[in-house]
Amino acid sequence: MERVPSPELQRLMERLADGDRSAFHPVFELLWPPLRRFAARHLGPGEADDIAQEALLRVFRRAAEFDPSRSALAWALGIAAYEIRTARRKRQRRREEAAPAGTLATARDQKPTPEETAMQDDMESMLRESLGALRPEDAETLRLYSRGERAHVAAATFRKRVERALTRLRAAWGTDGRR
Amino acid sequence: MDVADAILAARARRAYETGRLGSAASRALPLLPLACLPILCCPDPARSIACGVALVAVVTCCLWRGEALRRGVRPGLIAGGVPLMIPVVAQATGHLCGIGRCLIDPTICIVAGVAGGIALGVFAPRPREAHGIPLVTASLIAGLTGSVGCWMYGLVGVAGMVVGLLAGAAPVLAVRRARG
Repeated sequence: MERVPSPELQRLMERLADGDRSAFHPVFELLWPPLRRFAARHLGPGEADDIAQEALLRVFRRAAEFDPSRSALAWALGIAAYEIRTARRKRQRRREEAAPAGTLATARDQKPTPEETAMQDDMESMLRESLGALRPEDAETLRLYSRGERAHVAAATFRKRVERALTRLRAAWGTDGRR
Repeated sequence: MDVADAILAARARRAYETGRLGSAASRALPLLPLACLPILCCPDPARSIACGVALVAVVTCCLWRGEALRRGVRPGLIAGGVPLMIPVVAQATGHLCGIGRCLIDPTICIVAGVAGGIALGVFAPRPREAHGIPLVTASLIAGLTGSVGCWMYGLVGVAGMVVGLLAGAAPVLAVRRARG
């Protein structure tokens, strides 16, 4: 991986923050590749470029506010990290809203083959087994989540509970030794 | 640079310029209430307010363009604050020449201009810095800021303030130049 020359970026970013337009292209060329790599490391390939672009635009939009006492690269990556977090949160929300309904619709529309039915039964019985191994609250959370419902708690709290329950389910699923 | 990167660079450039403009406007807007001070103590504040709006526009433009233009903003506002406040305070504390114009009005503006000029000479960037652009910007902004207060006394007040600014700033700048 090529390294960004940090002192040079720092100097150029200071000039850009002061309004020196001649520093724009060098800053662009120094910042775009690391932002792209940073986003690619944290997101899927389809999403990474879009988020890296959003982050880059935000960096330039806020260039006038850049504080020269801070590291330019760390500042830019901080903005990119914020964009990545926002994108993940949006994706999570979309999945929560769309996935249960979408799954049901697909199930209704397509008739499974006998092999698929057998495999699905098998999977469901294994899932039931694993759910049985979970704490009752976790199992209830996942049941509600799979039906697209929510317990009487705040959305963020429920999301956290789902995440925790899924982690425990994955652990139960993985340590079983069968899969 | 390939086509996609060139398009992205153009978008980034637009984002940079709009970001700078937004930041400049948000820093210049707090001057607007200051520019509206003559409303409180002047029966005909239209010209003063016009000067105030011009001041906000000039400061926004200077902060947006940055570099040498930006460096003149703060000294200009400090120097112009003196001829802005002295006439406003004089009016507000009861010196009102109700019938026609009195001789004290232009004198107040000249005195305020001299005080502002001294401040300009002390705080302004060196005359040789960046081909004198920061000094010119500072003088322009000081003049506009002072005009907000001195327009209350008409064109005579503004002329007196400008003469005072020049008279106050010139010797201080000359001394600074001589000292190197």
